[in-house]
Amino acid sequence: MTTAHEEHGVEHDLGHHGSPFVQHHYDDAQHQFDSGKFGIWLFLAQEVLFFSALFVQYVLYRVHHSEIFNYAHKWLDVKFGATNTAVLIFSSLTAAWAVRCAQRNQRRGLIACIVITLLCACTFLGIKYLEYSHKVHEHILFGRYFDPCISPGNAELLTQNNECPGTKSTIDWDYGSEKAKTGCFEESKIDVDPNQPGVQADCAVAEITREKKTIEDQKTHKEVETWVEKSRRVIAARCPEPHLPEAGVAEHEQFPCWRPAYQPVVCPDLTDAEARRHGTAGRPQDGILVEYGDSAERGEDIVIDATCKAPAPATAQSIELLASNNGEHDLKEGQGAIHPIHIATEEDEFERASLGPPPEHTGMFLTIYFAMTGLHGIHVLFGIFVFTWLLMRSIKGHFTPEYFGPVDYAALYWHIVDIIWIFLFPLLYLIH
Amino acid sequence: MNLEILVLIIVVTALSGGALAAIFAGKKHRHALAWFFLSFWLGVIGPIGDFVLGQRDWVSPIVATIVGAVIGVVVVLVVPALPVQPDPVYPDGPKDEKDYLHCSKGFLSWALTLDHKRIGLMYLFGILFSLLVGGVFALLVRTELFFPGKTIVDQDMYNKFFTLHGAIMVFLVIIPGIPAALGNIIMPIQLGAPDVAFPRLNLASFYLWCSGAILLVLTIPFGGLDTGWTLYTPYSLESKTPVLVATMGVFLLGFSSIFTGLNFLVTIHKFRPQGMGWFQMPLNVWAIYATAIMQVLATPVLGITVLLLTVERFAHIGIFDPNLGGDPVLFQHFFWFYSHPAVYIMIIPGMGVVNELISTYAGKPIFGYRFIAYSSISLALLSFLVWGHHMFVSGQSRLANMVFSALTFTVAIPSAIKIFNWVATLYKADIRLKTGMIYGLAFLLLFTIGGLTGLFLGILSVDVHLHDTYFVVAHFHYVMMGSTLVAFLGALHHWWPKFTGRMYNEKIGQICAFGVFFGFNFTFMPQFVMGARGMPRRYWDYDPQYTIFHQLSTIGAFILGFSIFITVISLVASFWTGKKAPRNPWGGSSLEWQAPTPPPLYNFEKPPVLHELYNYDDLVEVEPDRWERKTPIEDEPEKADAIARKIGAVTDHTAGATQAERAAAMIHAKAEEVRAEHDVTESSKGKALDPKDLAADKAEAAKVAGAGEVMPTATAEQAKDEEAKNKDEGEKK
Repeated sequence: MTTAHEEHGVEHDLGHHGSPFVQHHYDDAQHQFDSGKFGIWLFLAQEVLFFSALFVQYVLYRVHHSEIFNYAHKWLDVKFGATNTAVLIFSSLTAAWAVRCAQRNQRRGLIACIVITLLCACTFLGIKYLEYSHKVHEHILFGRYFDPCISPGNAELLTQNNECPGTKSTIDWDYGSEKAKTGCFEESKIDVDPNQPGVQADCAVAEITREKKTIEDQKTHKEVETWVEKSRRVIAARCPEPHLPEAGVAEHEQFPCWRPAYQPVVCPDLTDAEARRHGTAGRPQDGILVEYGDSAERGEDIVIDATCKAPAPATAQSIELLASNNGEHDLKEGQGAIHPIHIATEEDEFERASLGPPPEHTGMFLTIYFAMTGLHGIHVLFGIFVFTWLLMRSIKGHFTPEYFGPVDYAALYWHIVDIIWIFLFPLLYLIH
Repeated sequence: MNLEILVLIIVVTALSGGALAAIFAGKKHRHALAWFFLSFWLGVIGPIGDFVLGQRDWVSPIVATIVGAVIGVVVVLVVPALPVQPDPVYPDGPKDEKDYLHCSKGFLSWALTLDHKRIGLMYLFGILFSLLVGGVFALLVRTELFFPGKTIVDQDMYNKFFTLHGAIMVFLVIIPGIPAALGNIIMPIQLGAPDVAFPRLNLASFYLWCSGAILLVLTIPFGGLDTGWTLYTPYSLESKTPVLVATMGVFLLGFSSIFTGLNFLVTIHKFRPQGMGWFQMPLNVWAIYATAIMQVLATPVLGITVLLLTVERFAHIGIFDPNLGGDPVLFQHFFWFYSHPAVYIMIIPGMGVVNELISTYAGKPIFGYRFIAYSSISLALLSFLVWGHHMFVSGQSRLANMVFSALTFTVAIPSAIKIFNWVATLYKADIRLKTGMIYGLAFLLLFTIGGLTGLFLGILSVDVHLHDTYFVVAHFHYVMMGSTLVAFLGALHHWWPKFTGRMYNEKIGQICAFGVFFGFNFTFMPQFVMGARGMPRRYWDYDPQYTIFHQLSTIGAFILGFSIFITVISLVASFWTGKKAPRNPWGGSSLEWQAPTPPPLYNFEKPPVLHELYNYDDLVEVEPDRWERKTPIEDEPEKADAIARKIGAVTDHTAGATQAERAAAMIHAKAEEVRAEHDVTESSKGKALDPKDLAADKAEAAKVAGAGEVMPTATAEQAKDEEAKNKDEGEKK
């Protein structure tokens, strides 16, 4: 290509004003600096409005659904948040100091300040990573993926105790009835008739093994089968005295299953602990429904089986069969369901009574949390790029008392990132 | 793949590849190669996308690939064979350097240019191309509605047609049309600035626009978008069409708009020449300033909204999804918080342009300058407070409805101020019906209709009846298309000679301007009627009682489309066929008419001389479409004499002057003295000359000379005009 463009560019770059960094179309260095300063302030105004929608959203949901915020904020660790606040405020200081150093032509000080700012930004993101990875692990996620394993009393996340590792409970509580539901895996929104005989049964204890996680990842038929086997053995080992249903129950009635994404099928209708204590508790439902993903219409997740059969009424024989045959029992995925359930202790019941179930749409808090801190994190990341660029230029000695605009603009940008965090921290971490 | 879409892609590819190659290629083969790739990929990428996401159809991509390749080969073979034209030498072009069109060559010299005029020109062609695509969809929509029931396409395809028409026209044509394209080209020159404040950011904005535009247009081969341009949730969360592609496109376009606005704000603040205060800026610059405020402050909200919608689409975060506890109406609030100001982002630059058109072609100072300037700003601010009037029937509270309705009426005030001032400017003016002026007058009429019907819709009870009917469609087309696009076309004609260096064909321009005006009214007047009678918008089928209105509307749309198409063809053709343009073909008084035609890289050869704003008294038409100042620049005394003689203001030096001419010459000499006192000299160039003093001095000089009875006509008139003007200003104060 001809050099015409480069000539053009060079004219812009080198200009005619002596200083190599004053562009051609500016009158002088001061004109360039003033223009840049005005530009960055406008950019910051734009940033404020960019975040404003999220703040508006926060206010709306806080006003209309404060119970969500009261319930869910406990999952945010104030220690992490406070550390990050301190780190960011300190880095704002060093960023401002960097401007001062550039103005006073202290190159080493400038480099040191920029490096400290960079380190602080990285620390911030590191801590954010810890927080995020913890939440991802616990499935304390936004919207549809909000699916932590909540203890019956909602006081703690069971994953921490490894009681149901790699699995999730459901938050679809039965709001209609006051009756407490038990279990690590709570009642799911299975579209069944609770009066259906087979469904009336109680669930057995089961522990979903870590394999389930693998299965979720791989979603292959083979592994599903493996998991079926293992689960069945676990059930067989732990199952309490099965309840014998009355005769004349329609067997193997087909009915559609529906539940939100990534929720294990659980016992469709749990009897409460009292019923179990009276010996009327049911038996494990035989068969396993392996269903991943949302309802089939979305077509986004692999649905291995979208329907399940009404489980056959369990009999003592069938349970024994389960136990003794050790996997030989004729079970096919898609037929019936094993509903692993954590039997609530009386202690759990107490906790539940004191705390209540999680409010509806608790995931919205996490949505807001991830949207706000995520967008803020992207800004921090961008700040790291900018400061790295400044570091390279300051090592080359580009910045002088006559030309320090970029340092000033970057510092201003860093301040707004800081200020946004200073608002986010109390709004998300310090609420009661 | 749908056959129509395939044909559309091929036609558009052929048109664009061929036209662009013809316009830009010229001399070197590598241009042709570049356009070969462009045409090739335009032909290929769509069907590939269709294959990947769509119907798994092998045949059409192969066909389209072959067609694209053939087009590419034809372009490669034909374009270099076209006759090579030498660089034109413009009579009024820059003297010492080449103009911006020819200062450097090669594809990269355009692709990586930092020059605001080149960037603006690239915007312009992108926008004209988008106008073509959006226009084709408009005509397809109108054709489908010619008869009740199915005319050419089925319901789903119809949904995609009107969605793409809306999305492309709004996001790709109207919003960037005047600010990004013409604003980029003209605004810095009007300010007397060498460039915008941040040229690199300007280029980045252009590429953001390109990326956004490509994404938005890519939704066509990906199967078309059917959500409506508003992307309302919850349907946009469920639609099977490529909403993600569109939202990402809109996001990028939003940031293009933000950065353009930011750039312009800084330019207007920091690049005004010495002597040009806020109220010495042309009103077009005021309008772009008001627009830029909205671009910077409103567009980020759209950015975050479509970003949330995007994330919602693939990660189901639940913000707008009622299934997960989200609020779909919140999306509407966010969307209209941007998109209502966006309506003013669209219309205010149009108003700014119309100031220039009306004042220039009427040859009169704009009436009520300060009121128009302030009304632009107040429109910009009020526009942030009225978004709720789009949602009167979306379940807002009654109180909110009432507040938004009341605020909506306040918007009428600044709009009306503008209209009254323009009409007052036209009063008793010597109007020249150039193409630009026809568009200017059309704007006045159409905007008045569009604005007043907006008041109907602002009334709560009436809105319940009219909401989502063709009345609304007609209303916003009167504002967006009848006003903004008409102003855009007027501006295009007005400044076309300046930035291309060529005069367009005036006859064709005038005829097409009338065609646009009548075609437009033909299209949208019937829509008011059927809307008021209950025809809902966005419907594929309709009751037979509306047939006649739909048919009138469709016929009008074709007249309109044809007129615009011919206009664009005629303008583009003027690159080859047009006369070389002088510096000042229309008698404009603002700074861009002082710059060479076409301007050089940094716009002015020397710092421009500021004259009184919108003062046309000393502008004379020395020959058709060539205006000069009566007292031209000092370094050309011969020319000054020639013009002075021509208009009857002969100097002492002029040989063979009559008695009357000598008397006039004395006045002129006195005026020169006065002018010298106000020293328009080398040392103080760029400093404003106070013309009021000049006028007073002239009047005094006339008295001293006792030459009242022999005062040449021109001077007498001039004095009278000035007197009247001073009086006007006094009254205004």
